[in-house]
Amino acid sequence: MNLAINLTVNGKSVSATAEPSTSLLDFLRDTLNYKGTKLCCNTGECGACTIIFDGKPINSCVALAADANGAEITTIEGLADGDKLHPVQQAFIDTGAVQCGYCTPGYIMSVKVLLDRTTKPTAEDIEEAVSGNICRCTGYTKILDAINLAADRMAGGS
Amino acid sequence: MAKAEYTVVGTSTPRMGGVERVIGAGIYGIDLMLHESLHGGILRSQYAHAKVISIDTSEAKAIPGVHAVVTAADAPDVRYGRTYIDRYMLAKHKVRYLGDPVAAVAAESPEIVKRALKKIKVVYEPLPVIVDPEETMKPEAPTLHEDMPLPKNLPADAKVKNVCSYTPVHVGDPDKAMAEADVIVDEVYETQMIHPQYLEPRIAAARVEPDGRITVWANAQAPFSVRTDVARLLGIPLNKVRVLSTELGGGFGGKASGITSGAAIEPICALLAVKAKRPVMIVLDKAEETISTTIRSGAKMYIKTGVKKDGTIVARKGRVIYDAGAYSGFGAMAGARCTQMLGGWYLMPNVHIDGYVVYTNKQVCGPVRGPGGPQAAFAVESHMDSIAAKLGMDPVEFRLKNTPKPGDKIIGVAKLSDVSLGETIRTAAEKIGWGKVKLAKNQGMGIATGSWIESAGPGGGAMVKVNEDGSVTVHIGKIDMGTAPRFGIPLIAAEELGIPVSDVTVVNVDTDASPWDAGTVGSRAMLVSGTATRLAAIDARNQLFKLAAAQLEASPDDLEIKDKQIRVKGTPSKSIPLATVATAAHNVIGEVIGHGYCDNKALEAQQKANGSSQPFTAHACIVEVNPDTGNVKILKYVAVHDIGFPIHPASVEGQIEGATAMSIGQALCEQVVFDNNGRTMNPSFVDYLMPTINMMPRIETTLIHGYPGAGPYGSKGAGEIGCVPPLAAIANAIYNATGVRIRKLPLSPENVLRGLREAKH
Repeated sequence: MNLAINLTVNGKSVSATAEPSTSLLDFLRDTLNYKGTKLCCNTGECGACTIIFDGKPINSCVALAADANGAEITTIEGLADGDKLHPVQQAFIDTGAVQCGYCTPGYIMSVKVLLDRTTKPTAEDIEEAVSGNICRCTGYTKILDAINLAADRMAGGS
Repeated sequence: MAKAEYTVVGTSTPRMGGVERVIGAGIYGIDLMLHESLHGGILRSQYAHAKVISIDTSEAKAIPGVHAVVTAADAPDVRYGRTYIDRYMLAKHKVRYLGDPVAAVAAESPEIVKRALKKIKVVYEPLPVIVDPEETMKPEAPTLHEDMPLPKNLPADAKVKNVCSYTPVHVGDPDKAMAEADVIVDEVYETQMIHPQYLEPRIAAARVEPDGRITVWANAQAPFSVRTDVARLLGIPLNKVRVLSTELGGGFGGKASGITSGAAIEPICALLAVKAKRPVMIVLDKAEETISTTIRSGAKMYIKTGVKKDGTIVARKGRVIYDAGAYSGFGAMAGARCTQMLGGWYLMPNVHIDGYVVYTNKQVCGPVRGPGGPQAAFAVESHMDSIAAKLGMDPVEFRLKNTPKPGDKIIGVAKLSDVSLGETIRTAAEKIGWGKVKLAKNQGMGIATGSWIESAGPGGGAMVKVNEDGSVTVHIGKIDMGTAPRFGIPLIAAEELGIPVSDVTVVNVDTDASPWDAGTVGSRAMLVSGTATRLAAIDARNQLFKLAAAQLEASPDDLEIKDKQIRVKGTPSKSIPLATVATAAHNVIGEVIGHGYCDNKALEAQQKANGSSQPFTAHACIVEVNPDTGNVKILKYVAVHDIGFPIHPASVEGQIEGATAMSIGQALCEQVVFDNNGRTMNPSFVDYLMPTINMMPRIETTLIHGYPGAGPYGSKGAGEIGCVPPLAAIANAIYNATGVRIRKLPLSPENVLRGLREAKH
């Protein structure tokens, strides 16, 4: 049995069908071809598949495609404005926070939601926002630099 | 070392490949989509040790949508391995760990694959399972590899079995020296198995091309090693196999050992594609990955050291039992390195250490980031503090007392041309506030040092192709996983050819087109590919000068290249655009292609004659131990390194921070837990704890002005050494806080609490 799912992805209305058991991650990656959202643990532990679902960051691997009917979703592909990168994306590049880059899309989505809420996050705010995103390359030091740089730039309106 | 005058080398120019990574481009192996591709899956052993009596695939083959089911019977009778050739790609007579591949399926959908795998009927005859690396050496232990001989160099009186490699480190007369020592400290240390847990799942995809060649896509750190074994195991020549490297979502040595790393996923996938006559792609599930792919082995280390009252070390005796797991894998090399490093990197006149690498019914040892090093350093550097405590000496002072000087030898290095160990120790002590910071109750401070000896290894080449517009394309055999190939190496080509970094492209590895290379392994990306790229760029520059000389009416020796212009030195008005010369080459030699090599033998000879400058490091930290829960919180962490000249400082820092974080994970929480049947109890990320941002301190990295290393511009390898000191630095800080010495990892709340309680009784 296939379900019809109508949703908005990165501002575009999309309709497709999915099995009731299909995860939102697989639906995005394999049905809608949004490969930017990464598959890793499939158990909601690593954050590589983080997307923004009705304004909230979620692990799309443990959400069902069926639950996304009517939802408004933003994936990493929806962040840049043409060739102009979102400040969070730019900050990750500028600080050297992108090593292998596999956690990066999920990380950026979590950070975007945080900085949309406040551009003056406390250390606790940051910890809470990204404690569900595992990075194995950086030791988090340069990721923290990236978050702070992006916050500064967004606060400055640049 | 003195600051050199360079234009781009030495700057932290944003990495090549950064934009595609932040916009979520589908560049990784997992993002591959081959037209008409089938899904592949692997049936793994249900026993950690058993005879395979029979395999019946008939029911699986009959399922609609199944295109191929393969077992060992479908492949040539050829085994693989790195030092010992002890392994089939699909189990033939026996299975030896729970991840051992037994059969594989290619089908229309992942669901059909799963269903078909369940329908393969394997009859096993279970055999006794051995998981303890010391017990496996005893005569009564079950034999894991009936047809593998014991290592030829084993001492005649060694009554052991299940040993696949033996390393003796014997120097001087340690018995005599030990007898003359004032103080002897004798300890046993043990480290646990961890999995590198790179985030991107391992993949393999294969397609038989119309001309019969096989293309394999792999997210492997060593694509040429993959090619070698795919060809060998399928019985086809190397020119019929092409391996294309996808971008890698992390490796850390876990994807570094050819097909050994992924338990032969690549040749299995190729075999499926041949049988199915369709492209096939296999993606490992994370839990499947934890149980089946290569890991950082556990080691048990006996260490005994004799010292004089003044703190001079006179002798060390030791024994290493290094767990290779079910097959030799990378065990021989990692175990040898662990054994050498148990001798330390201080002055050590008399040593007797025996290293045994043994088979057990567990995951196979891989070259995970600094293979053998963190294990040995946990023992060595914890032991240094135990000795200092017994002598009543300050740990920093004790280390400095035994630090080698230029001209001295340390184990694994015949002659040191210079030594920054003391400088790193003093700097780390200063940065952490050694002896100055007032610690609160339950807080402690620890220091530990490390080295990662750069010695002989495979060479490698580079090609720098100069396009007619003056931009260049660099071909090397190493892949980018956040390391030198797209951080430092583009800077080298830009530097030597006087062009902007944005005009340089370093292409990914295609075994049909790239120069052969041992892969992005062993902290050698910059040493090998950086050296080769520099020489290739200089070769290209010389060819350009030769072509430009006539037009500029000057000798090639009088030319220079800057800002995309070739000009006469001292007469900037006499110049010609690089693009013009590169275009003119079409009518002369076709294309300017510079070649360069890292000649390993030449490097060896040079180091033998002049001595070598090795990377050294000291890490120090402050921890707080919760006496009620055993939880350890790191309050401050400093990492001081001499990596020679940093070609891309941010990348070097990133490597050090990442390596440090991996070892902090191993120190505090990471472990692959298994039961006596060899079953992994925590295969998924739900149970395999890794550091998240909450538990990580900010790692304060300091790159001291060290000494020039063997790499280009005097650089040294930076990828692994950061893994070496953290285990002991944290253990030493816990000892300083509590007076309890924990000799078995991890330093998890459970183990720390047990240590605190045992100390009370």
